[in-house]
Amino acid sequence: MTILALSFASYLFALWKRPLLYLGVALQVVYIFSRGGELGRLPLVGPHDTLVFLAASMAGFAIPFGFTLKKRTDFFNVIAVVAAIFTAFVMTAKQHNAPLPPILKTFWFECHVVLAFMSYALFGIAAVLGGIFFKDNDSSIDGLAYRAVLIGYCLFTLSMVFGGIWAYLAWGTYWVWTPKELWTSILWVFYSFYLHARLRQWWMGKPMACLGIIGFGVVLFTYLGVSLLMKSSHSF
Amino acid sequence: MTFLKYIADFFFSLRTTLWLLAVSLVFMFAGAFIMPGKNEFRELHSTPLIEWIQNQPLNLTWWLWCLIGLLAVLTVNTLFCSVESIVKKRKVTQWLLLISPQIIHIGFLFILLAHLLSGLGASQKLLPAREGTQLKIAGNDTVLKVNNINIKMDYYGNLEDWAVAVEYLSKGKSFLKDTIRPNNPSVWQGFNINVKDLRAYPVKAVLLQINREPGALWALVGGIVFTVGIVILILLKIKLEK
Repeated sequence: MTILALSFASYLFALWKRPLLYLGVALQVVYIFSRGGELGRLPLVGPHDTLVFLAASMAGFAIPFGFTLKKRTDFFNVIAVVAAIFTAFVMTAKQHNAPLPPILKTFWFECHVVLAFMSYALFGIAAVLGGIFFKDNDSSIDGLAYRAVLIGYCLFTLSMVFGGIWAYLAWGTYWVWTPKELWTSILWVFYSFYLHARLRQWWMGKPMACLGIIGFGVVLFTYLGVSLLMKSSHSF
Repeated sequence: MTFLKYIADFFFSLRTTLWLLAVSLVFMFAGAFIMPGKNEFRELHSTPLIEWIQNQPLNLTWWLWCLIGLLAVLTVNTLFCSVESIVKKRKVTQWLLLISPQIIHIGFLFILLAHLLSGLGASQKLLPAREGTQLKIAGNDTVLKVNNINIKMDYYGNLEDWAVAVEYLSKGKSFLKDTIRPNNPSVWQGFNINVKDLRAYPVKAVLLQINREPGALWALVGGIVFTVGIVILILLKIKLEK
């Protein structure tokens, strides 16, 4: 918990000293590995472990994205605040330390979850870039957000493929009719819309930035809202 | 002629794609709020979608009907746009960049085909069994025999691992032996047999789940093709930028 508190403080103080953002990421990577070592498995079950992974992924991915920006201070500041908020929630969420049921001990499950959260992080970066675009109105930000969504969409698709393979091996079907699957499809169709809309001139600029922000809202609801409020194979 | 041109323009248009995706999202949103808490949707796990949807009240399924209709139109739109794109830009030098979105589209169509096949012919059966139980799994004379149930618990009583040895018999003669383990079902002639639940006491018993998923292979092919297409697209875009 000390490492988490330190990473939270690092993210907050990164608003004044940017290298502390890198320190925050490094601390969370250490925390994830130490949890993994302690549990003897990938620590990606329950809101505690998944949120810390999301915070670390978002801040980690933000570094290469931020360095391609001319004015990067605002971007890194928003990322640091978002990562700090996620970390604050991590510190209040209960750890899942029980041994995993045999069905979750598989490569397919691990890939499914890791890729899903990496894609969520990239969608989050696109949303932050969308917000920055409203302030700076710089077309390079728009292009960067598109790249984040494109890579995120690829990882998200791969996550769904791995999830489908796992579901077929575990339950005999690649598709289960539960709210989580439906919301995941909504997310996938939403970002398909985003990528197609960008091909039309009318959508360039502010409408795309808006879509990026709405998209991350859908991500958060699909991840936290559905898992906490609705009964499904992905419930916390 | 004008009408035909209107139809063709409609299907060749990217604007149509955007409208179809946007309206699909609206119906999916509606479904996401209708679906939770309605017991009727539980039957969907064991009944093919097309059969299920015809027997349910319209106030529960209207969004699914609309979604199926929209996906049918989206399929035609995808085919038209892909063919048009290839024909129009066939002379460009970066043909991989041209073809990669079409590879993605082919993957998407395979995924839709998978859902259509599963929607028409998927089935699920739950059968309890003990060691020695013989179960009929298909219409023919093939019988599945549960030979051995092995359950491993840890010190605290948590389920650690399990294995169920099964044997396929035809006219009393064994022709295939297999072991069902976590994430390792027994697959035979399109049937996927796995363990839904186990019990160690008072007698060892399992609840077998026998699924038939005709779209599974197409979904896998579609997923792989889709991913290959998008990876090529990303790599080429990075290369072009460099």
